[in-house]
Amino acid sequence: MSEKKIENPLQTMRGFYRKHVEPFYEEAHRAKKEGKPVAWVASTTPIEILHAMDIIAVWPENYASVCAALQTSLKLCQAAERKGFSKDLCSYAKCVLGSIYEPVSLPAGGLPEPDFLIAATGACDTHLKWFQVVSRIYRKPLFLLDMPYNVTGVDGDNLEKTWIEHYKKQITEMIEFIEKQTGKEMDKNRLKKVVELSNKCNDLWTEIMNYRKETPCPMGAREAFSAILFMLSFAGTKRAIQFYEELRDEVKGRVKEGKGIIENEKYRLLWDNLPLWYNLGLFSYLRQMGAVVAVEAFSLVWAGKMDPSKPFESLARKHIPNYSNSSIDRKIEWFTWLSKEYKLNGLILAGNWGCRMMSIGEIDVRDAIQERLGIPSLVLDVDAADPRNSDMERVKANLRAFVEMLGKKK
Amino acid sequence: MKIINKFREIISNKHEIARNWKKQGKPVIGWTCTYTPEEIIHAAGALPVRITGDLEGTKYADAYLPTNMCSFAKSCMDVALRKKYDYLDGFIASNTCDNYGKMYDVWRYHVKTRFNHMINTPHKNTGSSREFFYIELKNFKDLLEKRLGKKISGEKLKSSIRVYNENRRLLRKTYELRKKNPPVITGRETLEIVLSSTFTSKEEHNLILKQLLDEIEERSDLPEEKVRLLVSGGEIDIVEPIKIIEECGANVVADDLCTGSRYFWNIVEESNDPLKALTDRYLDQIPCPFTYQYQERFRHVMDMAKTFDVEGVILFPIKFCDTYLFDSPQLTEELKNQGYPVLNLEWEHSMTGVAGLKTRIEAFLEMIRG
Ligand code: SF4
Ligand code: SF4
Repeated sequence: MSEKKIENPLQTMRGFYRKHVEPFYEEAHRAKKEGKPVAWVASTTPIEILHAMDIIAVWPENYASVCAALQTSLKLCQAAERKGFSKDLCSYAKCVLGSIYEPVSLPAGGLPEPDFLIAATGACDTHLKWFQVVSRIYRKPLFLLDMPYNVTGVDGDNLEKTWIEHYKKQITEMIEFIEKQTGKEMDKNRLKKVVELSNKCNDLWTEIMNYRKETPCPMGAREAFSAILFMLSFAGTKRAIQFYEELRDEVKGRVKEGKGIIENEKYRLLWDNLPLWYNLGLFSYLRQMGAVVAVEAFSLVWAGKMDPSKPFESLARKHIPNYSNSSIDRKIEWFTWLSKEYKLNGLILAGNWGCRMMSIGEIDVRDAIQERLGIPSLVLDVDAADPRNSDMERVKANLRAFVEMLGKKK
Repeated sequence: MKIINKFREIISNKHEIARNWKKQGKPVIGWTCTYTPEEIIHAAGALPVRITGDLEGTKYADAYLPTNMCSFAKSCMDVALRKKYDYLDGFIASNTCDNYGKMYDVWRYHVKTRFNHMINTPHKNTGSSREFFYIELKNFKDLLEKRLGKKISGEKLKSSIRVYNENRRLLRKTYELRKKNPPVITGRETLEIVLSSTFTSKEEHNLILKQLLDEIEERSDLPEEKVRLLVSGGEIDIVEPIKIIEECGANVVADDLCTGSRYFWNIVEESNDPLKALTDRYLDQIPCPFTYQYQERFRHVMDMAKTFDVEGVILFPIKFCDTYLFDSPQLTEELKNQGYPVLNLEWEHSMTGVAGLKTRIEAFLEMIRG
């Protein structure tokens, strides 16, 4: 069996790191040298506001995933542990802290030092804590966007009014904070333009994601986990639109031709949470068995059209219902919807050793999806960036057994 | 010293106390986080009880919960699955840490307490977060009124605040007893005193505390003079961890625990707007590390170490308790800069690995004794 024949890589995704990731970090370093303000931002930070205020925003999470993909995360995690950080903490956090404490041969030259940091409560405890540590190391101010928790697990249309109001005020406080840091006022017109661009970016990404509902699926998880960088970091910029247009055209073309990301697609899966960055080959392992990850749980969480006349409210409706910020009910609803839309055969619920938010409740999600739709899930004990916490032999055996079980069901 | 045993008795009988309370036709409400304004529950005529774990294993909870979560929360869940908390009328959680925050849902699905509620708690105490918490507390009050069929008037709330403040003042006085050398009460006894106040009515607790304060100075079985330590961590809800430290040859004379000083350190202002006063008190209390204003906890640890004249500090968070674990290295550094030796430990609620803990504590004490 020749392994190469099975996958049909996307041209647009070729050299993604070299073409898009590395230049981005180079640019950030350059901007820093030129005295432009650099901010470190955490998951669920409304990036449009920062773009509108001309801030270079870097995502330590993204950096951690880059380090892991380039096989340097283990040594960085160990560096953080040498400083006294528990080995059970989030490996993204350990990785970034390690890169500060022991900055030796870092991918992309490391992260540029922040002028200020922004964390939000929307993802996890870890973000605030980890950013506090960084803010102390560099003696740079940290802003916390205090988001209301989606206690009842509702969607964006059904949020409590008080939540939206609080969120809007938090955005206002965040803008005041940034203005104080930069001495520059936010330009409302510019924000409007950014929102329009962000909407365009969002439309393109949604369109791409919609094509993945087709059988065979034109794009898989390996591609999506990289491509989503533009939604996360560059929503509201022209380069995001450019990139997604190209990707959309290629994916659309594939659907027309009936060509999938793999030959002979047999099973369609969902991947919950983060990939094992240091072993993206795992997706090929699945593909060899005829299984394609047609959708990731996070890929559409960041989507959502904004109303340019009510940007803050739109941001509230987009970010508060993120399932990381919501009761597990929301995750169950969300996975039910994805399972139907993407005609899935199974779900892979990847935990993350250092992440409570992702791991707690997976068993109830699994049982609920089984009961509602008769679709099985596999709960995996793994770690996104610390390879010591994933037993690869066992992971592969679990995946194989799971796919074989799907085969028997068919 | 008979009176000191009272607290221990309350702890061993906590479920019975709650059941007896129910027998009198009065509701019992379980809460999980020190950011829960118990006064509101008290003002509704209900008994607020802190949800805690035990040492009987987690085999039921393990069926629903992953390995990589805090074993304190898991133990609480297991106790509930063993139906020990079936007397609860309501279960109140907070989104204050990821462990309990997400476990709230698992509790809702499987324990099925009559009603469940999560208090949407801000992670900082400035700007709109304060207004938001005020509204949340008002919603909480309305919910309790509805579920318990009791009106909570401003007057009732004020009088509950007075009862709670009295408890806080008495506990502060009790802590004074630890400033002497040797301390008049041990660390284990202190933990029992604070914990027991969350399992019985504050009125009763106040009575026993007063009696204790009247009698304790005449104590004949004074603790011995030993190395004076401060212990810092989250919810130590069983005495074993403190017991182990003291058995190794130390007196725990001060703490920065969620089940210790931080539970009662701050008083509620007795003002005309009791809900506002509660909002301020709970947001401005010596903070838990889940908050933005974590430096104030560092300051609290420093102040305590100084005023209680300790010779060393043990940072003792539970395994997987991220918010504390992220603070540990820098807190250690600050303490060391102030000249305090620091030992970093992590514990497991099941108390496995005790032998290893003991060795490290003994070595630490040896080092302090010089
Ligand atoms: S992996 Fe989990 S703990 Fe780590 S940053 Fe992401 S959400 Fe937070
Ligand atoms: S340790 Fe913090 S989060 Fe946990 S109960 Fe105490 S105050 Fe709440």
